[in-house]
Amino acid sequence: MNKPNGNRNGKIKQTLSGMLIGVAVTLSGCASTGGVEQQVEVSPVDPYEGFNRKMYAFNDTVDDYVAKPISDAYKFITPQFVQTGVFNFFNNLKNINVALNDVLQAKFQQSAQDSGRFLINTTVGLAGLFDVAKQFGLEQNEEDFEQTLAVWGVPQGSYLVLPFLGPSTARGIPGSIFDTAANPVTYVGAPVQLVAMLNARANAEGALKFIDEAALDPYVFTRESFLQWRKSLALDGKIDPSDDLFEMDEDLLLEESENEASNQEAAISGDMAAEQDEAGNTTNPRAFNLTLSADTKEFEQVSDSFSSTAQSFDSTARSFEEASNKIDRLTIK
Amino acid sequence: MVLKSIKLAWVLMWCFFISATAYAQEEGAATARQVVEKFQAELIDVMKNGKQLGYAGRYDKLKDPISNSHDLTKIARIVVGKEWEKLSEAQQQELVDVFSRLSIASYAHNFKDYSGESFVFDSEEETTRGGVVVHSHLVIPGEKDVKFDYMLKEKGDSWRIINIIANGVSDLALKRSEYTAILQREGFDALIAKINEKIDNYSKQ
Repeated sequence: MNKPNGNRNGKIKQTLSGMLIGVAVTLSGCASTGGVEQQVEVSPVDPYEGFNRKMYAFNDTVDDYVAKPISDAYKFITPQFVQTGVFNFFNNLKNINVALNDVLQAKFQQSAQDSGRFLINTTVGLAGLFDVAKQFGLEQNEEDFEQTLAVWGVPQGSYLVLPFLGPSTARGIPGSIFDTAANPVTYVGAPVQLVAMLNARANAEGALKFIDEAALDPYVFTRESFLQWRKSLALDGKIDPSDDLFEMDEDLLLEESENEASNQEAAISGDMAAEQDEAGNTTNPRAFNLTLSADTKEFEQVSDSFSSTAQSFDSTARSFEEASNKIDRLTIK
Repeated sequence: MVLKSIKLAWVLMWCFFISATAYAQEEGAATARQVVEKFQAELIDVMKNGKQLGYAGRYDKLKDPISNSHDLTKIARIVVGKEWEKLSEAQQQELVDVFSRLSIASYAHNFKDYSGESFVFDSEEETTRGGVVVHSHLVIPGEKDVKFDYMLKEKGDSWRIINIIANGVSDLALKRSEYTAILQREGFDALIAKINEKIDNYSKQ
């Protein structure tokens, strides 16, 4: 399976910034005239979904009519070993930034490895055209400044789709600026940058094809896989089972309470009671709800996401109550 | 002499005990790790014969292994989230059917040939809520390993896969965002139509 890293147009960097602003202004003009969807829950990470969807559609069109045809032509006329060489060359240059960010994240041993990787490939690997370091067991690591910011505790911020550049987040913008500055490709002529872009697009082909095949809603698919992929990179591949299981268990609990399987229920509501204690000690959900709803009046733009948070607090509170009632009944028995 | 016979008795007893427990394990439900490894072995097997089998052949061969190792009903229920309650019983059944076919079709489409891939078990951990996560990775010669983390839950007396996390991307979370978004924006019929369209596309290639 291809890794669905959802990097749609994501690596096509260093584009004409003047054009970006022009396009951004025109498109945001269009966005306000777009139809309003009803009863759609706003995703907390994506408050600007309307704008982002427009931008996504724009990038998609640019990709279909410009980037993909050029990339296809490049893949058609260039022998595979040249493509691999080009990929290795640009990938090797990226390692300066990788080693730098290793240090910023206090991964000193990994930084030494990545510097070694860069040195070996630059010398023995003929300016990086051959990835010899891999034969020595030095795997390519994925580090960048956005991950460093994540390690430093900077919050991710909203999901944003940037024109030409593709998916990003509020934290990803300073990340990209730093990464661009730390890449030697930035300081050489336009032809090299063009080849770098071509190479990036050609290598994204597999992921883009996978999205086309698998996605029911390509925008949501790209957003979710991009955010998850970035999160997993920031955590260095560790998964956080509690994250995912919590969502699942919410559903499972609903189902199980419907089934009225009393034995299982006792165990589960025991679980919930334990949580109730925690929640009760820290904050009273209802009080939190009140402050949140007061906030909504002040921040009208974000009111949707706030009130949905308030609602979920409310429903959590209710489920806690139900759970304690059940326990009461059980103890009476 | 007496000592020796006591020793012998002990050894015999141990042998009996060990074989009895081994037998009991075989009789009883497979562990979470066994469920995952059996499924992975079956998948690799289908990949090895992928070309001869063709799409339809792979679909037929994968149907039972997937249905027996995954809890497709529960997965279908989780991916639509709270919207499940709003569906009629007939709609719920239709969703489970179509979703199951999509799951098998996507395996049959994506795991179509074999070039030396193998699954390697890494570790196993229990979650706080009684689930098990099996960590493994797929080795693809000449390429970077792909991490596969399986989340399992007990269903009756057997373990079933509920979620697969490939390189940090959770299949369940991804589908859940997509499906709930489509249900809210376009409704149930549009969702089913889109899933059917995907199944058609998978079968063509």
